[in-house]
Amino acid sequence: MYPQLPTGALSQFPLRKRRLARTVVNTMADGSTIKLPDVAAQTTEWQLQYTGLSDAELATLQQFFASMEGSLNGFTFLDPNGNLLAWSDDPSQVEWQKGSFLTLTGGVADPVGGTSAWTVANTGAGAQSLAQTLNAPSVYVYCLSVYAQAAQPTTITLQLASLSIARPLRTGWNRFTITGTGDAEATSVTFGIELPAGSAITLYGPQAEPQESASAYKSSTTGGVYENAHFRDDAFSYTSTGVNRNSTTVNIVYANNL
Amino acid sequence: MATFPKLKTNAVAQYPATRALRYQNQLVRFLDGSDQRYRDASGPLHRWIIRLNELDEGEQAAMEGFFLSNQGQFGNFAFLDPWDGTSYPSCSLSSDQLDLTAVGEMQGQTSLTVVENQT
Repeated sequence: MYPQLPTGALSQFPLRKRRLARTVVNTMADGSTIKLPDVAAQTTEWQLQYTGLSDAELATLQQFFASMEGSLNGFTFLDPNGNLLAWSDDPSQVEWQKGSFLTLTGGVADPVGGTSAWTVANTGAGAQSLAQTLNAPSVYVYCLSVYAQAAQPTTITLQLASLSIARPLRTGWNRFTITGTGDAEATSVTFGIELPAGSAITLYGPQAEPQESASAYKSSTTGGVYENAHFRDDAFSYTSTGVNRNSTTVNIVYANNL
Repeated sequence: MATFPKLKTNAVAQYPATRALRYQNQLVRFLDGSDQRYRDASGPLHRWIIRLNELDEGEQAAMEGFFLSNQGQFGNFAFLDPWDGTSYPSCSLSSDQLDLTAVGEMQGQTSLTVVENQT
């Protein structure tokens, strides 16, 4: 897996990301077109520019590059500027594991003026959760965040692997976060939101990020876990700008068809 | 019908924004030097270059999501002309490439070119 910096961040600013699609276009004399999409040819590229890296941080990157043998081997890469959760605005999608006694109602007013919030009601006699399990490295530091409110005082429990934290919930939107790592030796990480029996809460903007703190909410459909990403280049170069200060640039590519 | 995403300010574009018109005329030139011209399309087609700066992470994600849902230049969507408020019902992105740059927190940049489709 791609190494996280000791700060818990995956990258530094500026961060560049390029999305590439492929469309076959037949243009007629009158300017009209016939188009065919080629979904399998979509690729995503990231350019990560690092400055002020310590010798130890640089060595970690270099060792990882060597272990991947440049562009030869694939690894799991988490989008540093994305929401790792898929369908973050639509918990009715299959990516979400829902407790059998949870009912979802969409189209509810959200805290940013839209209608992307959901009311989740637990009609069961025990706690029920809404969760996603991602094939992401367990040793990373993650932050799960969500906006929530409830008409009646209740609690919300955020779950990150085996960690959980309960918070009181009242009327008015609040953003709740939990930070931690996955379980040792696990090959996946579960992010969840648990409701006590008989409660109903309104949720907006669930977001998981590979860093210690939550950033602004980013709506997501595809999620941000890219398995089998590769280094774009076979060369790794760096510049030492001072004692224990180094800079380098890394290019990573992910192709849908791989 | 999908629509081009608006920023949180409810604006579609920022300055500098570029708008262009294009006609699709054909020209037949004869041996004596004269020519005959005719329209091959019913009217002009519009093109807009939308350059966006100082985007927050949510706005960047919205632009990226819009690009993905359109599969680059494949998809069709309605575009509201920021100059005069006219809605153009059949438009596409002009490219299969989207570049997003995060210069800092809440300082995202991108650029998209929208073209009106000949129908």
